[in-house]
Amino acid sequence: MTASAFTIDGMRADIARIIGEDPAEVGDDDSLIDLGLDSIRVMTLIQRWGEQGVKLDFAQLAEKPTLAHWWSLARRQLAGNHPAG
Amino acid sequence: MTAGQALPLTQAQEGLWFAQRLDPENPILNTGQIVTLRGPLDRAAFTAAVEQALNEAPALTVRFSEGPDGAEQIVGGHVFFRLNIVDLTGEADPLRSAHDFIDRDMARPRDPTCDPLATEELLILGPELHVWNQNIHHLVIDGYGTSLLNRRIAALYNETVTGVPDAGTAFGSFAELLAEDAAYRGSEREAKERAYWNELFADRPQVIGIAQGEATSAHTFHRFTLDFGPAVTRAVTARAHAAGLAWPDLVTTIAGAFVARHAGSAETVIGVPHMGRFGSVAARVPAMVMNVLPLRLAIDEDAPLDTLAAGVSRQLTRGRRFGRYRSEQLRRDLGLVGGERRLYGPLVNIMPFDMPFALHGIDSDLRVPGAGAVDDITFTVRADGAGETMRLELDTNPALYSLERTRQLGHRFVAFLEAASGNERLADTPTLSPDEAAQWRGVQTAADHAVEDTTLAALLARRAAAQPDAPALIDGDVRLTYAELERETSRFARQLRLAGVRHGDVVAVALPRSRHLVLALLASVRIGAAYLPLDPDHPRERIARIVESARPRVIVTTREASAALPDGAPLLIVGGGDDSSDMSASPFIDPTPTDAAYIIYTSGSTGAPKGVVIEHRAIVNRLLWMGEHYRIGVGDRILLKTPATFDVSVWEFFLPFITGAALVIAPPEAHKDPQALARLVRAHAVTTMHFVPSMLALFLDEPQARGLSIPRVFVSGEELPADLRDRFHTLIDGELHNLYGPTEAAVDVSYWPASRADRSRPVPIGHPVWNTRLYVLDARLRPVPAGVTGELYLAGRQLARGYLGQPELTAERFVPDPFFAGERMYRTGDLARLNDDGAVVYLGRTDHQVKLRGLRIELGEIETALMGAGTLAQAVVDARDDGTGSKRLVAYVVAKEGSAVDPAELRAHVASRVPDYMVPSAFVALDRLPLSANGKLDRKALPAPSFAATLGRPPETETERRVAALFADCLRIETATIAADDDFFALGGHSLLAAKLLKLLRDTWGQDLLGLGVIFTDPTVARLAARIDTARAATGARSVADDEGLAPLIRLNNGDDASALFCIHPAGGISWCYAGLARALAPGHGVYGIQARGLDAAAAEPESIDALAADYIGLIRQVHPRGPIHLAGWSVGGIIAHAMAVQLAEAGAPTGMLALLDAYPSDSWREQTDPSEDVALKALVQIAGSDVSELGGGELTRERVMRFLRDIGNPLGLLSDAALTGVLNVVAANNRLVRRHRHGRFPGTALYFRAALDHAGTSLTPQLWAPYIGALDIHDVPSLHAHLTGSEATALIAPVIARALRDRHII
Repeated sequence: MTASAFTIDGMRADIARIIGEDPAEVGDDDSLIDLGLDSIRVMTLIQRWGEQGVKLDFAQLAEKPTLAHWWSLARRQLAGNHPAG
Repeated sequence: MTAGQALPLTQAQEGLWFAQRLDPENPILNTGQIVTLRGPLDRAAFTAAVEQALNEAPALTVRFSEGPDGAEQIVGGHVFFRLNIVDLTGEADPLRSAHDFIDRDMARPRDPTCDPLATEELLILGPELHVWNQNIHHLVIDGYGTSLLNRRIAALYNETVTGVPDAGTAFGSFAELLAEDAAYRGSEREAKERAYWNELFADRPQVIGIAQGEATSAHTFHRFTLDFGPAVTRAVTARAHAAGLAWPDLVTTIAGAFVARHAGSAETVIGVPHMGRFGSVAARVPAMVMNVLPLRLAIDEDAPLDTLAAGVSRQLTRGRRFGRYRSEQLRRDLGLVGGERRLYGPLVNIMPFDMPFALHGIDSDLRVPGAGAVDDITFTVRADGAGETMRLELDTNPALYSLERTRQLGHRFVAFLEAASGNERLADTPTLSPDEAAQWRGVQTAADHAVEDTTLAALLARRAAAQPDAPALIDGDVRLTYAELERETSRFARQLRLAGVRHGDVVAVALPRSRHLVLALLASVRIGAAYLPLDPDHPRERIARIVESARPRVIVTTREASAALPDGAPLLIVGGGDDSSDMSASPFIDPTPTDAAYIIYTSGSTGAPKGVVIEHRAIVNRLLWMGEHYRIGVGDRILLKTPATFDVSVWEFFLPFITGAALVIAPPEAHKDPQALARLVRAHAVTTMHFVPSMLALFLDEPQARGLSIPRVFVSGEELPADLRDRFHTLIDGELHNLYGPTEAAVDVSYWPASRADRSRPVPIGHPVWNTRLYVLDARLRPVPAGVTGELYLAGRQLARGYLGQPELTAERFVPDPFFAGERMYRTGDLARLNDDGAVVYLGRTDHQVKLRGLRIELGEIETALMGAGTLAQAVVDARDDGTGSKRLVAYVVAKEGSAVDPAELRAHVASRVPDYMVPSAFVALDRLPLSANGKLDRKALPAPSFAATLGRPPETETERRVAALFADCLRIETATIAADDDFFALGGHSLLAAKLLKLLRDTWGQDLLGLGVIFTDPTVARLAARIDTARAATGARSVADDEGLAPLIRLNNGDDASALFCIHPAGGISWCYAGLARALAPGHGVYGIQARGLDAAAAEPESIDALAADYIGLIRQVHPRGPIHLAGWSVGGIIAHAMAVQLAEAGAPTGMLALLDAYPSDSWREQTDPSEDVALKALVQIAGSDVSELGGGELTRERVMRFLRDIGNPLGLLSDAALTGVLNVVAANNRLVRRHRHGRFPGTALYFRAALDHAGTSLTPQLWAPYIGALDIHDVPSLHAHLTGSEATALIAPVIARALRDRHII
C-alpha cells in the first residue's frame, strides 16, 4: 500500500476494527477514548500507519483524540512527504 | 504565567504534597532516571539540550509554599536550570563512584518548600562513557512526563549534532494544564465522574493485600526484576490475540487473580496507574498528572479466562473514561482515610511500549531506580517496542515484604502468568510455581521415618520384661515396679476375659483417676480390645448416647461412678474384691497393628459426639516419636493429670511404660488445682507433664509453682500465646514444647520447641512428627505458598480409622489425598499458614470465622492483636447479638497480673493492627475465662456485654466540638469520625501538624492561651478542650514555662505508669524530642520528660550535674514514689541520666533500666572550648534536627535561627522570646556543668544506642563509658546523632527499650 491510498475512511476503518465497532460508529468529532481507545491501541495504530508511511506522534494524537484532528495531522504529513503531489 | 506567580496545586499534586509533608524525611518521592551513554557524546550539545528542555518546562522549576489558602506553587521559584557536570574519571572505580553518587542522591529527601525539585547531573566516567542522572520530585513529574522530557532532550541534541530539525517535540502549556485542572473542579464532568466511582464502590469489598500490615510507604523499597523470556511472552500475547484482547488487559486480569489467590478472597481491588493525558493539553506537558484507577475484581475461577479478561477490559475502558477523578478524592468520599483503610491493594502497572531515548551515535541504556511511593506491592510489566519480550519489575514495601519474599513472589507470578495463559480457566492453574510445587512435595516426605509395625501391647510387654524391678507407677502411697504392674495388669485382663471381653471388643472405662484406671486401660489393649474412656461427671444423657453408639462389651467402673451409667449396661465393678481368677495361663492376646487401640469421643459441630477410632500402628508412631525426640526414658517421671476422655492423656498413660519411665498419678481433682499440681511436681520430681495453655497460665499465677524445675512441659489443646511462653521461661526452669493435633490423628501431629530463645509471634504449631504430612491448602485443595492462609489437612500414619459407626461423616472428613495416591487426608477445619522455615502457624478455626456486614472476619486474628498489647493474660473475641438482631464483636479479656484493662487503650491498640470493622465494639474484663470440663474455653459461658457505654463518646461541649473540627481540618479527616477521647497523634498527627494545630487553636481562642507542649501532654479532644476551658477561666498570671509545655516534668503519653520511663532533656533543656518514643511505647509504658528548670529565664543556674540529678530524682519521686526508676537520655541527657542512676544505686534503690542515646562521657567534652552564644545557637539548630549549613553562611543571630526554625516548621520555632532566652541559657549552662562533672560508677548494665552514621574519624565510642558502667548492651542505629529521636531511629530504638522494660517488669 502506498501513502497515496491513505484516506480518512481508511483511518476510520482501522480505528473501528481495533475497538471492535462498526466504522459508521466512529464519527469525525467523536471522542475516541469514549469509544474505548487506549494507549496500547493508539500505539498499535501509530505502528500500522507508520508502516504505510504516515508517521504520527503519540503525544499529538493523545492531546486531541478525534478522527478529524488525527486526519488533519496525517494530511500535514502526507503533504510533507509528497510536496505538490 | 510570570515568574513569582503563586498558583494553586493541581489535584494530582495535592496528595503527594500532603504525603511529603507528613513524612518530610522520606526520599521515596524522588523519581529517578539513570541513562548510561556509550559513545562519543557531544557534552556541550547535551548540556545545552538538557538545560533548554528543562527551562522550557515551567512545571519543573516551581517552589512550593504553604499559603494562606493552602499549599501553592510559585512559578520560577528556582531560576535558570543547570546541568551539573561531575568528573569521576579520577576516581579509582568511576562506575562505583557513579553508583554511590546516584544512591546518595536518591536517598536524599527533598523539601518542596526550598529545594530544587529537578536536578540533573552528567557523570563523566571516561571519554566515551557517561552516566546521565536525573532526579525529579514526583510532585512535578510522572512517568509519561519524564518520557516527554526525554524525547525533547534527544530531539534538541540530535538537531545540534545532525542538523535534522526537531519534528514537533515542543511542550504544551503548563498554564493551560492548570486552567484545565481548575475548570474541572466543580464541573458537571467532575460530578458525573464522582457519581460513577462512588456508585461503583458503594459496597466495595474489603481490600486485602498479599502481606499483613499497614500499607504506608517506607523510605525505600525492594525491587526484583525478572525477564519473562520469549516463551512466556509468546504465551501471553498469543492468548490475548486468540481471545481478541489487548495483552495488557489479560496480564492485568491474571495479576488480579494472583493477588486474589494470595489474599484468599475472590473479591479484591487493585490499583491501575492511569496516565490521564488523553484529550488534554497534558499530553504534551511534562508535569504530574497521573492517577490511579481502582479496579474492582470478582475473580470467578470457573469462568473462562477470556470472559473474565473481557470484563476487566470493559471496566478499564469505562474507568479511563472517568479517569480524571482522583482516587485520593474517592478515598475521602468513601471515608477511607488512614493506612489500613485502603481503596485498593497492590498496583498493577503495564507499560506496553517504551519511548526509546535515542541520541545520535550513542548507545544508551535507561534505568528507573525509583518511581514514587511503594505502599504495598507494585507489579510493573514492561514490554519492548515490538512486544517480543517482557520484563517484570516487582517493587515491594520493605515493612511488609522481605527481599526473599519479593523474589519468591516475582518467580511465582511469572510462572502463574505462563500457566494461566495456557489454561482455559484460572481454576486449573496452581498457585505454586512448578519449582515450588516440586519443593513442596519434597518437604512432604521429610518426616518419613522407619517405625516398627507393631502394637502397644507388644511394646508394653517388651518393656516390662526388660526392667522388672524398676519403678513403674506411683499412686499416692502405692508404688509398683514393672513386674508388679505386669502382674496387676494380668489380673485385670483375666477379669475382663471372665466378663466376656474378646479380641476386637470395646471396653468402656468409667473410673476416677487412679491406678485402677491405668490398669484397666493397659489390660484392655493387652487383650486386643479398644478402650473407650467415659467421664462419670459428664451429663448422663451424653454418656448414654456414647454407650449406645459404641456398644462396649463391658463398662469398667466403681460402685459410685456407676450411677452415671445407663441402666442395664454390662458393668465390671472395680474394687469388688473378686481377684480369685485363675493365675495359671497368660490372659493376654496379641492384637495386630491395625486393630483399634482406643476410641475417644469428641463433640461434633452438630452437638452429637463422634467416636474417633485410633489403631495401634497410629498411636505407636506417635509414642515412639515422642520417646525418641525428647529422649524420655528410664529415670523420667511423667505426671498423669489429664482426664482420660481427652486424648492428650493417651501419652501420659502409655509413654512411661514403653520407654521405661515412671508414672506419677495426680489425685482425681488435682488437675484443676494449681497448688496441688505444684506440690505434686515438687514432691515427686516430675520431669515431664502437660498443660492446656489456659491451665498453664493459672499454674504460673500460683506462687508455689514459681521457680520449679520441670525438664519438659508440653502444651497443646489450645493456642499457646507468645506472652505465656515468655512468662513460662521467667518462672519455670525447663523446656516448653508446643504440640498440635486433633483427636482424629493420634494425639499430636506437629511440634514446636517454644524455647526461651524463641521469639516467634504467634508461636507456631511447628513441623510434622514422624511419618506425617501437614498440608496447607486453599478451598480447591491446592497448596498455598508460605505466608498465605489456608486450611490445614493432615495425612500419614497417625490418621484415625474414622468415626465409629459413621461412614458418611468419616468419608466427609477423611478424603482421598490428592498428592499421595491411595492415601487419605483429614480435613482439620483449622486455618493455618506456613512460615518461611516451613513451620505451620495455627490461625484459628474455619468455623471461628464470622461474617459481619458481609465481611469475613477471623476472630483469632483479633485475639492475636489484643494479646499484642502486652497487658493481657488472655483474650477471646466472640460475635454476639447486640439485641437488635445484628452481631457485633465483643472482646473478653483477662488482665495480666499487675496490669489493668483500659478499653480505650486496647481499642487503640487493636485499631492499629486490624481493619476498623474488626475492632471489637465492646470490651469485657473478666477475672478468668470460663473453662469447660476438659479445661478448654467455654464460649457459651461468656457473659453478654453491654454495648451502650463502649463506643467512643462524641464531643459534647462546644469547646470539644470545635477542637474536634480543628483536628479534622488539620488531619484532613471527617469531623464526624472523631471521638472525644481520640488522640491527635493516634489519628495521624505528628509534630509538624501539631504546630499547625497550635496555630489553628490560637487563631480560635487567642494567641497566648496555649503553648505547643500542651498538644504533646494533652493530645485528646477532651483533654485539650479541658485545658482550653481552664486556661480561659483562669484569670491569674501563669508562668511562661507552664504555658509552653516547658514545665520541669511533662507527661508525654498516657501509658501504664507501673513501668514508666523518664527521659532526661538533651542540651537545650526541652524533652519534646522524646514524643515519638513516647508514642511508640504507649500504652504499655508511661513516658515522662524531665526538662531543665533553667528554661524559665528567672531560675537560678544549677551548681553541678550531680545537683541536677538529685533534683530530678526528687521530681520523679513525686509521681513515682516507689520502685525502680527507668531512665533514658539523649546526648547530655544521657550524662544526667547516668548520674541519676549512680545516685539511685548508691542509695540502694532497686535497679531500673538505663538507656543512653549516643551520649559520651564528660571527659570528651572537656577537650573542647567553652561555648559562646554562637555555639549555643548552633546547638539549638542541631537540637531541632537540622544542620547549621542549612542556614547558609554569615553570622548566627537569634533572629536568624528563630526564623529558620519557623520556616522549617520546627516546634522550637514557636517558642516565645523569653523561652528562647531560657533555652540558650540552658545550653550554655549545660555545657559548663558537663565539663566540670566527674562520673560515679553505675554497677548495672546500660542499654546503649549508638548513632552509627556519625562520629567517623572521632574518638567517640561507647566504650569510653567502660570505667563508669558495669556493662554496656550496645545497639547500632543507622542514624546521625542529630536524628536519633526521629521517627526512623525511634522505630528501631523503641522495641529494644520496650523489651527491656517488659523484662524488668516481669522479674
